[in-house]
Amino acid sequence: MEQKEKRLIRRVKKGDHQAFAELVDRYKNSVFAICLRMVGNRQEAEDLSQETFIRAYKHIDQFDNDRNFSTWLFRIATNLSIDSLRRKKPSVSLDAELPGAEGLALKELLSGGETMPDEQIVRAEMEKIIQHEISLLPEKYRSAVILKYIEDLSLKEISEIMGIPVGTVKTRIHRGREMLRKHMAAFRGEK
Amino acid sequence: MSDAHKKFVSLMNKVLDEEATKEEQRLLDAHIADCSSCRVHFHELRQSADLLNRLVHPQAPLNFTKNVLDKLPADNRHAVRNWVSRHPLYAAMAICALPMSLMMIAARRQTVYRDKNGNGQFILLKMPENRS
Ligand SMILES: [Zn+2]
Repeated sequence: MEQKEKRLIRRVKKGDHQAFAELVDRYKNSVFAICLRMVGNRQEAEDLSQETFIRAYKHIDQFDNDRNFSTWLFRIATNLSIDSLRRKKPSVSLDAELPGAEGLALKELLSGGETMPDEQIVRAEMEKIIQHEISLLPEKYRSAVILKYIEDLSLKEISEIMGIPVGTVKTRIHRGREMLRKHMAAFRGEK
Repeated sequence: MSDAHKKFVSLMNKVLDEEATKEEQRLLDAHIADCSSCRVHFHELRQSADLLNRLVHPQAPLNFTKNVLDKLPADNRHAVRNWVSRHPLYAAMAICALPMSLMMIAARRQTVYRDKNGNGQFILLKMPENRS
């Protein structure tokens, strides 16, 4: 697997589109997941994901093949997402409230109520709510939380992607988790 | 929150990061058994982590790879090599067509030149189009 990837990258460095297509297929879901959870919008996430791969292709000569390709790629995706968030920041209201009905299933779930809401509805609703809660996190906590929980990466990998020490990654994840806890507690309190 | 509780919150985080020793885990368990505010806090933190874990991992949109490839800058060197290996006949024709078209251009120039000299006016003779 590792060796195959290194061979693919050597071919990409010679301008082989087919080899690059294999790399795109291998990582498109992960890159899309990172971008989607970072910006919370499918269309924007698709544009950012495409841009991530196009940049990777254009700058492949700068990639050191002794390093981890996914780390490098996820770093591009994270940085592009953060840039995009910063560009549109003034128009995004951080106080945006969810409509009242949205939280019902989640409240039921959090409180361990007996009437278990329909699985499908819970899924869709939770998806919306958690995405909303993630989007309320400051971007540096957000990226750490996403890389850990959505991509299931180790603290060490996250520190390499974000270019910060492992200790700082931990702090950011802890703070992110703590903010989410407080928001969720607010849901519970409304019941 | 008192300093004692803060210490336990950092223990909670260690446990959630799966970095707590058995001793630390035991310490937290013992405290939680007695302290309801820490018990609730830990339960809520764990729930936040669970919710994040439940979030579905989305699939990239359809045709994603193709859309990316369509936007890549073409590598000419490679493109030519690829094209030649896929279309050897066209490549051979293209190679033959080059001197042919040069000859035709030369021939056309000569014709125009001759006409100009001969009749004092331009008459462009119909030349066979060079299709390559
Ligand atoms: Zn306590």
